[in-house]
Amino acid sequence: MEPVIAAEALEKTYGRTRALAGLDLEVRPGEVFGFLGVNGAGKTTTIRILLDLIRPSAGSVRVLGLDPRRDGVELRRRLGYLEGDFVVDGRQSGHELLTYLGHLRGGVPAARISGLADRLRLDLGRPIGTLSKGNRQKVGLVQAFMHDPELLVLDEPTAGLDPFLQQEFTAMAREVVAEGRTVFMSSHVMSEVEKTSDRVGLLREGVLASVDTVESLRASATRRVEVVLGAAVPADAFTGVPGVSDVHVDGPLVRCRLDGPADALVKALAAHEVLSLTSEEPDLEEVFFDRYAGGREGASP
Amino acid sequence: MIRTVYAKWLRDNRRSLIGWTVAVVLVGGGYAAFWPTFEDPEIAALLDNYPSALLEAINYTNITTPEGYLGATVYGLVDAVLLAVFGISAGARLIAGDEEAGTLDLTLSHPVSRPSVALQRVAALTTAVVGIVTVFWLVMLALSGPVRFSSIGAGNLAAMHVHLAAFALFFGSLSYAVGAATGRRAWALGVAAGVAVLAYAASGILPQVDGLEWTRDWSAFTWLSGSAPLANGLDPGHLGLMLGLSALFVAVGTLGFRRRDLAV
Repeated sequence: MEPVIAAEALEKTYGRTRALAGLDLEVRPGEVFGFLGVNGAGKTTTIRILLDLIRPSAGSVRVLGLDPRRDGVELRRRLGYLEGDFVVDGRQSGHELLTYLGHLRGGVPAARISGLADRLRLDLGRPIGTLSKGNRQKVGLVQAFMHDPELLVLDEPTAGLDPFLQQEFTAMAREVVAEGRTVFMSSHVMSEVEKTSDRVGLLREGVLASVDTVESLRASATRRVEVVLGAAVPADAFTGVPGVSDVHVDGPLVRCRLDGPADALVKALAAHEVLSLTSEEPDLEEVFFDRYAGGREGASP
Repeated sequence: MIRTVYAKWLRDNRRSLIGWTVAVVLVGGGYAAFWPTFEDPEIAALLDNYPSALLEAINYTNITTPEGYLGATVYGLVDAVLLAVFGISAGARLIAGDEEAGTLDLTLSHPVSRPSVALQRVAALTTAVVGIVTVFWLVMLALSGPVRFSSIGAGNLAAMHVHLAAFALFFGSLSYAVGAATGRRAWALGVAAGVAVLAYAASGILPQVDGLEWTRDWSAFTWLSGSAPLANGLDPGHLGLMLGLSALFVAVGTLGFRRRDLAV
């Protein structure tokens, strides 16, 4: 199947600054693709090229099979976009703005707009300037989703959203891909994309350092495991168990690192009486940066 | 219901447009109301004592006729300056101001081309200018009886207002063009204001200098009122220059806007 976004050797230089240094990117139909990178890695530059707001210095890019430069109007008809810093004239109401933007797209049913607003608990009647940052972001989300585009390009869509809204956003994005449509979203925080995305790409200094599925990242994740046993065990009781490292034994309390599947550790523990076992959720960000970036810089602590 | 970029611009700017209209009408009407004072023969005698070079420099050579008075004060200076300032500030905001505010991205992420957005806004600004000078014309027409300048006639008064509209569009399109091509509102304001100041100097002061007489023919202020439209009606040459250059500015600015990257 033809990719929804296909970029090859994409470069962008501003004077002497190189924002993109040969980006290769492929986003497939029907997936949520998380575009991860620290601030300044080139996420927004890439996204603005997809929309034809800026033009690449070299390389090629096709979106929905179209050339953003040549077929920009047709492409943007089929695409929904939320900018990283959603700002609009604050004197107009949400209803006024969204109706106008709908008309630029040839009309969006009023019921569709109010339906999305209800879902996000957004008051469309108030001037946008009087809304909180989170509520303004909701206006941005509504305008990106309201015409059911084939592709949603969202720059940091969940920044500033409360947990309820993050959850609602995830649900909306999953509904989009369930219909075979595609979501391309950027973030600088792994935890914001891992719940929503099928695949995650790490952008580093203007190139795509790696792409992996969230599932595979999870499988290879490092977990911290803490076990309380019925009786004290020798200090080397679990040394050498596959996947287990960094073992600390303190009487009946065992703490260790677990890489990959938990099977071997569980079987080794089964020889003892286990009072409690806690395994913290893996920090995928750590995994990602550890595995591909050759260090912890940029990862959250 | 707002369906187009054109209508949206007019609606978003409605308060400011009403404000400019009121300002243009009040200032213009206010100056016009002083005309009967200048009709006084004593003023004519007073002005006879002034050096003719000074009167020429400030365009007061025909100040004792209604055409001369209104041409020098209302149309040659105060409302000319007001409409130039309006054109320049609105022109700079059409693209560059919107871009610097960070609000242009949203419009351009919709299925509209850059030239379409830009030209619809230029058309909206043109509509605004025509609206302001038309309201102003109606007010002047209403004043012409009570303030005793009805000898000018509605036709010549209209001709003057056509010149005034073209003059405002000249500066508006210049400011638009620099802003659209560069994305910098400050550059648009600077270039257009600089041209306006030079043009004003070239309409009165500069031609007093030997060898600089030619500058008078290249001033937008000359194109505005140099042919005395209040006495002589439309001047196709001056009008053509203002409108032709406006069209050229719009074309160049729009091409530049189409080619460049938008600022974040």
